[in-house]
Amino acid sequence: MSDAQVQFINVIKSFGDRTILKGISFEAKQGEILFILGTSGTGKSVLLKNLVGLLRPDTGEIWVDGEEVSQISEEKYFDIRKKCGMVFQHPALFDSLTVFENVAFGVRKHYDYPEEKIKEIVKKCLKLVHLDDVEEKLPQDISYGMQKRVSLARTVAISPKILLFDEPTTGLDPVTTNAVNQLILDLSKTLKTTSLVVSHDMHCALAIADRIIVLDKGNIVDQGTPAELKASKHPLVKEFLMEATTHA
Amino acid sequence: MISVIDSIGLSVIKTVIMVRDFVVLTLRTLVYTFTPPFRVSDIFKQLYFVINESAPIVIFCVCSAAAVTIIESSFHMKIIIQNDALVPGFAALLILRELGAVVSALLVTSRVGAGIAAEVGTMQITEQIDALKMLGINPIRFLVVPRLIASVIGGVVLSILANLVCLYVAMLVSQYKLGHSAGSFIVAMRAFVSMQDLYFAAIKGACFGFVIPLVSCYFGFRCKAGAEGVGLATTNSVVTISISIITIDFILSWIFSYFY
Ligand SMILES: Nc1ncnc2c1ncn2[C@@H]1O[C@H](COP(=O)(O)OP(=O)(O)O)[C@@H](O)[C@H]1O
Ligand SMILES: [Mg+2]
Repeated sequence: MSDAQVQFINVIKSFGDRTILKGISFEAKQGEILFILGTSGTGKSVLLKNLVGLLRPDTGEIWVDGEEVSQISEEKYFDIRKKCGMVFQHPALFDSLTVFENVAFGVRKHYDYPEEKIKEIVKKCLKLVHLDDVEEKLPQDISYGMQKRVSLARTVAISPKILLFDEPTTGLDPVTTNAVNQLILDLSKTLKTTSLVVSHDMHCALAIADRIIVLDKGNIVDQGTPAELKASKHPLVKEFLMEATTHA
Repeated sequence: MISVIDSIGLSVIKTVIMVRDFVVLTLRTLVYTFTPPFRVSDIFKQLYFVINESAPIVIFCVCSAAAVTIIESSFHMKIIIQNDALVPGFAALLILRELGAVVSALLVTSRVGAGIAAEVGTMQITEQIDALKMLGINPIRFLVVPRLIASVIGGVVLSILANLVCLYVAMLVSQYKLGHSAGSFIVAMRAFVSMQDLYFAAIKGACFGFVIPLVSCYFGFRCKAGAEGVGLATTNSVVTISISIITIDFILSWIFSYFY
């Protein structure tokens, strides 16, 4: 076991006869921002869900904060999930609750804070994602981009040590995208939060990642710092780089 | 030939796995139902949903069913024995022992069962269920238990309501269309049915109410991504629940027949 906060060792995951992850090994150190790039359908979401036990790997080891978690019980995962906040690809907000209650939801469950303190946390988190005046609205009454930001606030609210983002900026406008990237950067610098960011946006990755992993058809095809990846010879990486430069 | 056997074998295995998963879901739901914390306000919210959604259509359909039952049986009895004096009794028997509970349960299935499957299915594919787990909430406790309790209570209430409305409408029809007096209807009815029949109807309502949310949540949790996924989850649960209701009705009627 190295000093990594998150480590995958040879993780394999199949659905029926389709193998999605074909032996994935990587690690992320504390405070690091690790981008996982790949075209859609390669299994990026499946990889994140294996980390937090929403899916279980067929074989392989998954270490979170010094603990091997791939086989532990659903009850024991409660504590792991408290450490790992996950921002889903969908906003995944609870339709029947207001924005305020959505953000407060996890805080109420995980901590025994008085109402005053909860209010304060919710306000602070919504401010972090540049939202105000939406607290009493229902999720369906605000735009998709706002919903995604509320879902970000909901995850940050329980102050996890490890943050998992599943395509946090997909479908957002450039201004909000920058704000979200800045937020990920700030959290990692000020709170030493480890971030795993799943994305297909090389532009964002080059801007804020400490390290980048490129996933294709269930395998890691290349990895390294942004500078190293820029020199990559792999065709898929090159294609991602082309995209990034034409967008910039 | 081999491939036919293969595919039969495969579907048998799939069915066994589905039944096993359903039984596991049922057992876990029962455990959580009887252990704290209890989500009382959620139960009331769901109960309001069940009754508010279903009561109007249940009452409407049951009125039509009552009228048809009594007019039809009078028509046939007049042909066969030239006398329809026994009609109130037969109609009441049919209503209390079968019609009231089954018709209302099938209607609840189409409203509440479909509603739950679509709701839970949507939560599944938009990752809300995953989000619940991430925030430390057990989805079975949070979603299934309140719906189960509400649906069992709602099943009993609606079954009794449906039966009483049905009997009342049958009486009105026999009074105004067939010329029986209310008194003679009640006397004829009492000769055939007793309070026990209403209790049995309530038990049926509870059993149907038990099946509806469990099957709907089961298909909702298994919902596959995409709009067709939710549609399929809804259709599958309505079909499965309807078949289950008819089957359970048969079994219960058979058990109750030992008490008459
Ligand atoms: N629960 C599941 N059951 C079966 N197949 C799944 C499941 N989740 C994901 N898959 C399949 O795994 C593949 C990778 O999915 P995903 O991780 O969502 O891709 P992406 O990289 O776009 O996030 C897809 O082909 C998807 O159909
Ligand atoms: Mg994905």
